[in-house]
Amino acid sequence: MKNKTFQSLTNPLAKNNPILVQILGICSALAVTTQLKPALVMGLSVMAVCAFSNLILSLLRNTIPDRIRIIVQLVVIAALVTVVNDVLKAYVYDVSKQLSVYVGLIITNCIIMGRVEAFALSNKPLPSLLDGIGNGLGYGAVLVIIGFVRELFGSGTLFGYQVIPECLYEAGYVNNGLMLFPPSALIIVGIIIWVHRNANKDLQEK
Amino acid sequence: MSKKGFLGGKNSNAYIVFYSTVMVVIVALLLAFTSLSLKDKQEANELNEKKNAIVASLGLEAGTYDQVIDAYVVNAAGEKVAVEGEIIKRLSNLPENYAAGEYIVFENKENGEVVVPLTGKGLWDDIWGYVALAADMNTIKGVIFDHAGETPGLGAEIATPKYQAQFPGLTIYEGADLVGIEVVKGGAKGAAHSVDAVTGGTKTSDGLELMIKDCLKCYDAFFKARQAEANVEVVETVNAE
Repeated sequence: MKNKTFQSLTNPLAKNNPILVQILGICSALAVTTQLKPALVMGLSVMAVCAFSNLILSLLRNTIPDRIRIIVQLVVIAALVTVVNDVLKAYVYDVSKQLSVYVGLIITNCIIMGRVEAFALSNKPLPSLLDGIGNGLGYGAVLVIIGFVRELFGSGTLFGYQVIPECLYEAGYVNNGLMLFPPSALIIVGIIIWVHRNANKDLQEK
Repeated sequence: MSKKGFLGGKNSNAYIVFYSTVMVVIVALLLAFTSLSLKDKQEANELNEKKNAIVASLGLEAGTYDQVIDAYVVNAAGEKVAVEGEIIKRLSNLPENYAAGEYIVFENKENGEVVVPLTGKGLWDDIWGYVALAADMNTIKGVIFDHAGETPGLGAEIATPKYQAQFPGLTIYEGADLVGIEVVKGGAKGAAHSVDAVTGGTKTSDGLELMIKDCLKCYDAFFKARQAEANVEVVETVNAE
């Protein structure tokens, strides 16, 4: 039992990663990963929303009328996202400007509703909370990897600090402009999925 | 079916109405509380962003607003008028200020350069910005534009440093006429009053041109008065020599 609870945290990190295996939440993964910082903040925001919506809806699961189940889920998720958006605006204003509409769009992120519907409504609060954190982490981890590659090769910086030395630029090195555009994120996601499936043979379709 | 609980069970209409009402009230209270408790901080952030945009148009570093900027309001005749409250807070309802004939000026105390706030309409929503003029009240020192909802990659390009880099060095007066900045399709290079439009963002570009011209016009008298002052000083120094 203990082991199973723990698995709800670790499973979404690799074997059942929302982006890499379920191919959910791709839209925001393309949009907010030109730099590492917004990618990290977005990952944390989704994790917070996913964890708390799972926890709250799991606590409420026996009281929710079936007919308005989806509406209740949406109200809880939307309320949490609004709180997150307000907090970002108050404490990390510049990042919240970069993330712009994508924070609000967490409401429609399939990962969150998917986890609530598939897991939280039929499981106890603790595993649901862990499942939410796990999925948020799985999503955030992929975002951070993409953000790392895109910022490093697109701008030569990490978290805004110059990491590619000036002498390389003088020697003729140029930043890759493609990295700053959404298609590069899609290509990187594709490469990560490829590596991931290669490492996990059981995920490969026959 | 046989088990009937509170209000006739979980799936009765009465329960559903009750449940949704309670849920909405709780959520409303929660959101109102968060919004109110974070409001001051959010407003401070927005104000700070405006201050930084103003000094950025002058080419100064962020955070220098409070030391170098003197803000005041002028009327259509270019005379300073006394107004209540903090001037920078007026930027949140800039169109009303323009409509009331109260024009805001941010002056660099050190060298007499001024920044004027602009407001206009893009294709989808509001656009706004700041134009910094050198002490001659003619040469553009720098500009900052921003928008509420222009199309990314097209109209939204006006907010990029690359687009705004076209403006410094251009002049807004042709003799005594305020001509503003023309946004043209190709061939702007080398012209004194024109910049290239945004490809695929024609409506936004038109809005930008209109905004610059309409807003700067309101300051015409103020700019001319300052130009005359500057000329007198030049003449005086020449005479003194």
